[in-house]
Order: sequence, then C-alpha cells, then structure tokens
Amino acid sequence: MKLISLSALLFVIFLGALFIYIADDIPDFGDPNSPPNRYVNLSISMDAAEAATNLNKGVVPEELVSKLEARGFREDELPAKVEMVKEGEWDAFIIPEEKHYYPKEQKYYFIKKEGDKLWVYRYAPIIRYIEEGHEETEVPNMVTYILADYRGYDTLGEVTVIFTAGVGVILLLRRRAKRPEAR
Amino acid sequence: MNTEKSEAGEGKKRGGDVIVETVSRLMVPFIQLFALYVIIHGAGGPGGGFQGGVIFGASFVLLVIAFGIVKAGDRFPEGINTALTSLGVYIYAGVGLLCIILSLGVAQYLNYGFLSLPVHFEERRALGMDLVEIGIGITVMAVITSIFFNLVWKREPEGGGGEEE
Amino acid sequence: MEWVIADIILAKYNYWVSIILMLIGFYAMIAKGNLVKKIIGLNIFQTAIFLFYISLADIRAVIGTKGGTEPIVSEEIIHKGYVYVNPLPHVLILTAIVVAVATTAVALALIIRMYEEYGTIEEDEIIEKERELGV
Repeated sequence: MKLISLSALLFVIFLGALFIYIADDIPDFGDPNSPPNRYVNLSISMDAAEAATNLNKGVVPEELVSKLEARGFREDELPAKVEMVKEGEWDAFIIPEEKHYYPKEQKYYFIKKEGDKLWVYRYAPIIRYIEEGHEETEVPNMVTYILADYRGYDTLGEVTVIFTAGVGVILLLRRRAKRPEAR
Repeated sequence: MNTEKSEAGEGKKRGGDVIVETVSRLMVPFIQLFALYVIIHGAGGPGGGFQGGVIFGASFVLLVIAFGIVKAGDRFPEGINTALTSLGVYIYAGVGLLCIILSLGVAQYLNYGFLSLPVHFEERRALGMDLVEIGIGITVMAVITSIFFNLVWKREPEGGGGEEE
Repeated sequence: MEWVIADIILAKYNYWVSIILMLIGFYAMIAKGNLVKKIIGLNIFQTAIFLFYISLADIRAVIGTKGGTEPIVSEEIIHKGYVYVNPLPHVLILTAIVVAVATTAVALALIIRMYEEYGTIEEDEIIEKERELGV
C-alpha cells in the first residue's frame, strides 16, 4: 500500500478511538432535558429553607443575585422577578433593554428543589423563540421566522455565500460564443 | 453513402426524442408553479426561499436534460442570468436599508416593523419576511441555473490546447 | 456489561452512525488519488455532520409524555400533549447545506479547468507533470 493510504488509515483509527473516549458526554438521543433543548445546569446551589420562602412570596433572594454576579453575569442579566411553575420549581425573569419596541420580561433562569438544596439552571435561547415567536411575528412556521426575522443578518451572509459561488464558477468557466480567430 | 447515413441517423434520432421533449415541455410550467407555491407558502408550512429557488432551478435543468445543451442553452442568455443573481441580493440588502431610512431615530437594520405598510407592527414583520424570501428565491434560482449551464457547456479548445472533448 | 450496551451504544446510536460516516468520508478525502473521489468524500463528510446535528434536536417519547412533533405552531397539537421539536439546528443546517453546495460547485469547476490544462485528473500524474514543468 502507498504511504499516504497507510498513514490515513492510522489517523482514522486514532480519531475513532478519540470519539469512543468522549462518548460519555454526548446527550442521549431524544432526551427532552438536554442542554440544547431545554436548560443548562449552572451548578449553583443554595440552601433550601430561607430561599424557598422568599421565592414563594415572589421576592428574589439576595444570595442568588450575589452568586450569579460572582459567576460573571452582567448587570442586565440578573433576575428581577420570580414566578412559581409547580410545587418546588420556579422561573426567574429578567428585564433586558430591548431598544426597538419596549423592554419586555424574558424567562431566563429555572430554580428547582432537589432534596435539601435549590439548584439553578439557565434556559436555552430557543425557549423565547418557541414560546413568544408566534405573537411577535404572525407566522406559524418556526424555522422560517427564525431564519428570516430573528437571525435575518445570518441569512444575508448566506445569500452572499451562494452569490460568491455563482460568480466564482462564472469566472472559471465562462461560456464564450464561438468567435472567429482574429489575430 | 453520406446522405444515406445521415438520413438513417436522423430518423433514429427523431423517433426517440419526441416523447421526452413533449412531456418535459408540458411539465416545466407546473414545476415552476409549484416552486412559486413553496416560496410564498413558506410562512404557513414547510418551505421558504432556498427550497423554492432550488425547485425553480431544477425546472431549467430538466429542459437541458431533455433538449441538449446547445438548443436549451440558447434560450438563457448569460447576461440576464448574471443580472438576476445580483437582483436578489439587492432586494435583500435594500429592504434592510429601507428599514433604517424609515425608522427615524431608532435606526435598526432588518427590523421589518418599521416599513410603512397599512397594518400593525407584528403583521409588518410577516410581510417583510415574504419580500426577503422572494429575493432569496431569485438568487438561488439564477445561481443554480448558471452553475449547471457552465459545468455542462462544451468548451471550445483555446489556441494550442489540442483536440480535447 | 449490560450497562455498556444499553447506555452507550443503544442510547446514542445517532452518534455512532454519524461517526462511521464521518470517518469513511475523511479517509476518502485523504487517501484516494482521483480528484473527483476526493470531492465525493467531502460530501459524505458534510452529510454525516448534518445528520448528527439534526439528530440532536429530536425529542422522543418517554413513558408518560408524548414525543415531539413538527415545529409549526398550531393549537390542537398543544392540547393533545405534544411538544415541539427544537427548530434551531434545522435553521443552522439550512445554511450549512447551502455552503456545501457552493463548495462542491466551485471544486467541480476547478477540476474541469485542471483537466483542460493537464489532461488527467489523477493526483500522481499531475504531480509528475508539475515536476517536469518546474525543472
């Protein structure tokens, strides 16, 4: 066998071993609670007793705000309002500065009680597009309004890519008319 | 001998190609109508600009397969095709620039709520999306057509290249 | 040993299918000599990536809940208990498919021009001709 075939085979086997090594971290197929689909575990935990009573009344506890600020969240990403979803689960909202129409509250954090502690999760950005997309744009198809409205700038770059490919092929293989050899 | 051979060749060619040419000439308008349906109904069901543009380009590819590149290639002059590829990008970027001009003071690019149409803010976003999808469809159709025609066209060998086909 | 089969192989079979396709495409891109076969390997590689990314977005039926349905907003489906499939990977892969088409088109145009210049599309013969021309 040629040298490059042999070295390619060895490299492919090495890559295969690497993929098997990291197979533990990949989320399961069809898991509804995996990080791309619902929320990401932030690994912030608080004691349940005093914080739970604060959250039940609808007041954001000080400990939560200070821990989030220590983690690195910015000024306008700290929670401003808490609502209860079920017994033991709370949604925390933030009010970002959306300059174009009105500053609206947005569902950002998810606090859950497990055993003795409260764990804090963060919602994936897809939650806003699924739940409030149909009110903000009167379009039923989610893929279309994400492509053309919320991420419209990326689609402009996309059209530029295919325009560049067309121009590249035209420059390489131009269809010339049969001209007579005039020298 | 030469005339007999050419006549026999022509008769054989005429017999096989009539069905393919006629059927494809009948099918092309319906394929294009379906492509326009997919572009415009991209808001209510599956579809959108890219998908409809590719189906539109596929109708021209069908014409080339049935008729041959020389006969079909004369119908699509290269200048109009190249102009159509840039027209779609102009429409897309132009809508964005129009939103900056019409939104006095706030100045947001590609925020279709500020276009001056006689409906309320949320529905203007849906209509702006339709305009943008039409622009995408035009560009994708022209690019797929021009790529296919350029890849299939038999090139005249340049001076000194030898007889290659 | 059962936990190995159930947890790693069966629960993530989308990952394994995508890995096998990706390695086949990668080997074809490097080791084959014909230029068109390299482009075919590139396309297989890209298809494997698309498959993996979209399969991350699926939501399957666990005991007690119904599975995911298509991401088009409609009121009746919500009342029946379905959830929506995550639409964000679909959007990103639409862009990636168009990039794959553009790359393949320009690569095939380059191959046609190389065939007209050198008369062959085997990589070894092109290197030989270049070496002769260079010296």
